[in-house]
Amino acid sequence: MPYYQTWEEFARAAEKLYLTDPMKVRVVLKYRHCDGNLCMKVTDDAVCLQYKTDQAQDVKKIEKLHGKLMRLMVSKETHSGSMETD
Amino acid sequence: MVLLENDAFLTELTRLFQKCRTSGSVVITLKKYDGRTKPVPRKGHPETFEPADNKCLVRASEGKKKISTVVSTKEVIKFQMAYSNLLRAHIDGLKKKDKKSKGKKTKAT
Repeated sequence: MPYYQTWEEFARAAEKLYLTDPMKVRVVLKYRHCDGNLCMKVTDDAVCLQYKTDQAQDVKKIEKLHGKLMRLMVSKETHSGSMETD
Repeated sequence: MVLLENDAFLTELTRLFQKCRTSGSVVITLKKYDGRTKPVPRKGHPETFEPADNKCLVRASEGKKKISTVVSTKEVIKFQMAYSNLLRAHIDGLKKKDKKSKGKKTKAT
């Protein structure tokens, strides 16, 4: 399973994958303080997108994407109207 | 798997992060939830369940201990703010870049 090299591509692919089937997609976040790295995975059990980082500047991006996907999950709309570009 | 209220979940999540500072990992999972409490009925059986569209499930674990909570539209704003703060506060063991980057300043409340 490949790790994305750029955050932009990963975030775009993750949101796209979620919008194709919201009920199937899950988001997993794994943090290891002892190793100093953070790994994010978005999957629908068929496709798996992963991003790994050890940079503090990526924490904010990951946290924002998490929040965005959370809001998408609780909103009743099937397609989000405004796409924020980070 | 312990199902908690949003606030209790955030408290426990803080504790999970603190526990894993020396070893281990914290795994957080986020998934859309339609409010099902009964298993999916077999073929031929009527589906009497009305799926809700405004909830999501958040789970966290440090390997052994597992916690979870359900967030709905009404709670998401409050939960998401607290959750973001928590992540940013605890996920701090990563490398920092030296060069100045023009990041957006967060509003002070």
